[in-house]
Amino acid sequence: MLISRNGKLTSHHYYTNRNVYRVHAGFNLHMEPITIFAVALAGALAILAGIFEDLESDTGSQSNPNSQVQLAPQIGHLHRYFNKAISGEPPAYGFWSATGATVAVLLQTRFLSGFGEMHSVILASIFGALVAASILSFYAIFAHISRTASMRPFKQPLQLDVILSPLPLFFAYGFLAVLCITLISFITNMVLLNPFPVPLIALLFGITLGTIGSSTGDIHYGSERLYQTFIFGSGIPISKQGDIDVKAEYGFRNSIDTPYFTSRFGGPVTGLCFGAIVFLDNWSRLFNFAGKWTPILLGIIIIILLFIINLSIEIYTRNRFNEFTKE
Amino acid sequence: MDPIIALFGIIIGGTLVGVCVHFIPCSAVGAMSATTGIATGPTMLASGAGMMGLMAAAYNLDNGLALMLASGAIASMLMIALTSVVANITYAFGVGVAPTSGQSEYDRFTGFEQKQCLTPGTDGHGIPTQSFISGVIGAAMGGIGGVLVFYSVYTLISPSIAQATAIAMAGIIAVGIYIINGVLPAYTLVGKTEGMTDEKFRTTPKTLYSCLIMSTVSGIFIYAASVVI
Repeated sequence: MLISRNGKLTSHHYYTNRNVYRVHAGFNLHMEPITIFAVALAGALAILAGIFEDLESDTGSQSNPNSQVQLAPQIGHLHRYFNKAISGEPPAYGFWSATGATVAVLLQTRFLSGFGEMHSVILASIFGALVAASILSFYAIFAHISRTASMRPFKQPLQLDVILSPLPLFFAYGFLAVLCITLISFITNMVLLNPFPVPLIALLFGITLGTIGSSTGDIHYGSERLYQTFIFGSGIPISKQGDIDVKAEYGFRNSIDTPYFTSRFGGPVTGLCFGAIVFLDNWSRLFNFAGKWTPILLGIIIIILLFIINLSIEIYTRNRFNEFTKE
Repeated sequence: MDPIIALFGIIIGGTLVGVCVHFIPCSAVGAMSATTGIATGPTMLASGAGMMGLMAAAYNLDNGLALMLASGAIASMLMIALTSVVANITYAFGVGVAPTSGQSEYDRFTGFEQKQCLTPGTDGHGIPTQSFISGVIGAAMGGIGGVLVFYSVYTLISPSIAQATAIAMAGIIAVGIYIINGVLPAYTLVGKTEGMTDEKFRTTPKTLYSCLIMSTVSGIFIYAASVVI
């Protein structure tokens, strides 16, 4: 963070004044309309970031379902899926988000005099996200080539159109996800006044976003999209792993078709999860009815409500699916 | 905070982070609905939760350690609870399976029979109540551990450098120590655990010792770099 909200102070002055302002204004600071707007905007951007992150990882078979794409040639299914996982999603997204945010912070100081504060942040974030998306695309190409090369004993071919055709998708989804994270990081630092610098906030949010994308949306890809021939309403037995669908309605199935399926459920669900985390975490800090401990009390209430929701889902699914799984 | 107490803060915090991973129900093959747990690596999920804890705790840097620890724990718990709920929503409506433990006959908290909802050939799927509670407990430990490391490092280095830089450096070091200690349990969990009801939970002492050694070495280096030198 280099410039304060009024656009006149340097980083040193900013941090000094921020603390003084907080001490004098107390918790009423958090009730400013701009803070409430920022909380809502951060939540909305987090929803978008979650959706795009999940679709990007599904398109490239990143994260855990990747093991199935990797196994398929070993049991005789030659496929045309893009296969790019080398690291897990959390470190990967942490790295891309931190890269994008670092470039954005550097450019924002350059753009500040010419474009003003808000526009400089938006413009710098776009350039930062472009850099991160370019790195992501290069990473994806080399990861796919090296992964496919390791499948040579199983006759998995390396096809040029499989590499080139999904690249615009990675670039677009990766760009949008990193752009959203960079903007959330600027909002968190500049308006919500988190003391961490923007790139570190982006790293932390990136790791969390990757974790959530890997935990929620990828289930829809790994359990349903890759195994659509299996009947709905069952897990994939260990003995069937690697037996993925390689045929589409017409010809071989490819990675461009994957978001067509996962954007209907997996992507929005990931967005819902990350958006809810960012929004509820910030929202609990807007209130002041029990002094400093208000966010803690609200957090405990939300966790108890989530426990009840989880239990309700468990009871619902047991009643709904019990008869089927008994067979 | 006294520098020596801060050193112990790093050691205790790092060890808590390592132990917390054993509580968090995770499995890589969970993405194929083939085992119980949230469908990602235990280290990764613990890290994601810890990062949210650090973010929330940083807001309370001026309000004392107790509030920081509480807000870090709550934010981590919120992250794990929401991820578990949304993962169960995906299992319910996207895959069509009920949350089931592959290792327990009955759920320890609800008493539900587990085997009747288990897809044949799998080792469970989803996050049943016992794993949900275990995950939330683990997230609280991880959040407290991460924030303890962050605050200890911050108090160690803040007298010698500017406040903004000290906050950033302490945050980066806390993330580093979190991930180092989060990775160590991977050698005993081998990518899959159902939480505190899992048989692998008995291997927690091994993790405890390794994380204790790792955190002590890290803590001594940070102490030496900031106080002695």
